[in-house]
Amino acid sequence: MNRDSSAASAKALFVVAIVAAVLVSSVLAPVAYDYTTSTQSEGTVSVITVSGTISASTVDGISEDLRNARTNDSIEAVVLKVDSGGGYVAPSERLYLEVLRTAEQMPVVASVQGVGASGAYYGMLPADEIFVLSSTEVGSVGVVSSGGSVPLPESVIRTGPDKAQPTADERRQTVESLKRQFVGRVMQHRGDNITLSREEVAYAKTYLGPKAVENGYADQIGALPTAIDRAAGMAGLENYDVTRQEPPQSLGLVLLTSQTDNGTMIYKRSAQTNGLVPVTRPLMVDEIAPYNPEVNANGSA
Amino acid sequence: MEARDLTGPAVAFVVVVALIVGGAAVLPIFSGGDTPEVSNLAQQQADLDAVRVTAADETGEITMDSDATGKTVLVDKAHENEFSDEKLSTLVNTLVENGHEVRFVTQEQARGSAWNESLRSADALLVANPTQAYTPEQLAGVRAFNDAGGRVLLLSDPASSSGSILSILGLGAGSQQPSSGGPGLSSTFGVAGHSGYLFNMHEYQHNFKSIYATAGRGSLSQDVDRVVFRGSVAVSTDGGQRALTSIEQTKLSTTRRADTYAVAVQSGDVAMVGDTDFLAPTDAYTADNEAFIGNLADFLVSGQKTGNAPGPPSTESENGTGPTLPMPTL
Repeated sequence: MNRDSSAASAKALFVVAIVAAVLVSSVLAPVAYDYTTSTQSEGTVSVITVSGTISASTVDGISEDLRNARTNDSIEAVVLKVDSGGGYVAPSERLYLEVLRTAEQMPVVASVQGVGASGAYYGMLPADEIFVLSSTEVGSVGVVSSGGSVPLPESVIRTGPDKAQPTADERRQTVESLKRQFVGRVMQHRGDNITLSREEVAYAKTYLGPKAVENGYADQIGALPTAIDRAAGMAGLENYDVTRQEPPQSLGLVLLTSQTDNGTMIYKRSAQTNGLVPVTRPLMVDEIAPYNPEVNANGSA
Repeated sequence: MEARDLTGPAVAFVVVVALIVGGAAVLPIFSGGDTPEVSNLAQQQADLDAVRVTAADETGEITMDSDATGKTVLVDKAHENEFSDEKLSTLVNTLVENGHEVRFVTQEQARGSAWNESLRSADALLVANPTQAYTPEQLAGVRAFNDAGGRVLLLSDPASSSGSILSILGLGAGSQQPSSGGPGLSSTFGVAGHSGYLFNMHEYQHNFKSIYATAGRGSLSQDVDRVVFRGSVAVSTDGGQRALTSIEQTKLSTTRRADTYAVAVQSGDVAMVGDTDFLAPTDAYTADNEAFIGNLADFLVSGQKTGNAPGPPSTESENGTGPTLPMPTL
């Protein structure tokens, strides 16, 4: 009887041990699998998202991602996942320079999802290759600015006649200079492929994917996975990991933050231009500056 | 367990920590730290010469050559004209400085027979960007005024479309073609404009819509090498003179066809200019704009108006000068 009960308890203990072993293994197995996979991987492709309005805040985040890619030894290539119609001028140039710095170190491939126009196209220019879809729109190589020259109210006291009061011709000169820089960089980076003249590029037309591949604004038709595989191939990776860097959510908050950062911003409503005239911070590559009534009402230099 | 039993492990702990932390602190001294080498990409990428845009010279004075004195120029402000006093100031100042009178006709002063009375005592009429229709009586008065030698200067920006300036004046082809019977453009004044604006992507001043135009024929182009118009409409004339024409490779926004478009024309006592911005103080001294403004002032005071045209309203109605009746083509 005693022999029987001790045999039964040994058997139960054996079953418990088996079950416990299965449970522990189910936790450890994925870790072991990942470890083996990572040892097989020759490197990582970092997919960095560029979406929404190109503003100081969004470029801060993208710059951080690009900097991480440059300093992380395991990252061998970068794919820019682009879906943006442009934004402010200076952030667009910052994005361009960050991408250029990255492209000097490792392969960078751009994959345009819906739109890659204006400031977004500016930013992806240094990429080794640009992938588009058949429905993608790229281009719009130009600058938009309000004309300025709307008289400030008498309640605003300025230190000089040109303070916060650019003339229309000064605006034209500024926009022309920015246009030359933008067009010049398009010709510099896409010059070998592009079939359009500098003058034709300056028309600032937006092209659909197939046309963009034909005229050299883009290189190939292809979706994001193709772009990732191409970037890995350019980095010499057969087995690779992919990491994805998404931007912070809530675009509205980003815009609000970027505005309130600058206490000197003054917006005016202009009857002549039938819109808003940003006085102290001017130029958009594509879009019109957001309007904040509070900033407008409390604006001061 | 006694306290001295813990002394050994504690010492070992402190030594190990000190070695590791100290080593980490000293390591960058020998390795040189991890600050990456920074190259100035922004400067390397900036082609300063290519992006430098210089301001245009603004020199010269607006002068008049005409010897005429005491002429009266009427400025139409009765038809909700989109034409600022600032732009008008250069021309008005020039006329006044040279001994002429400039009168403005407001909406109240143009009611009923007052419009024709104003024209009767004037030598020239300036109409810029009207947005309100003229009455048949007002139109008849302008025609009679012009027939008698009164000078008429029409200014039109693309925004208001020169097509509309003529239709607002009732001078468009639609209303006049059957009666005037003239070939081609049948505007009563012999001038008309295209829709859209002119631009030049090849050679321009600071912006593709700031086009250059060079001298053509007639007194309006005297002493003019080239002028700058910012947002101009193309104008045409039937038998008149093309006073200013855009330089080559100028395109019309609506057709995108490159041509040398007329931007200022003169047809007898009528002149039409496809821009008003050149009159603004900020643009009046760019290129040879000041010479052209002087020529326009001369044009306004050089007419030879005869009689007291337009006559009293009763005379007009007897003559039957409605908008659909035959009028001579200038």
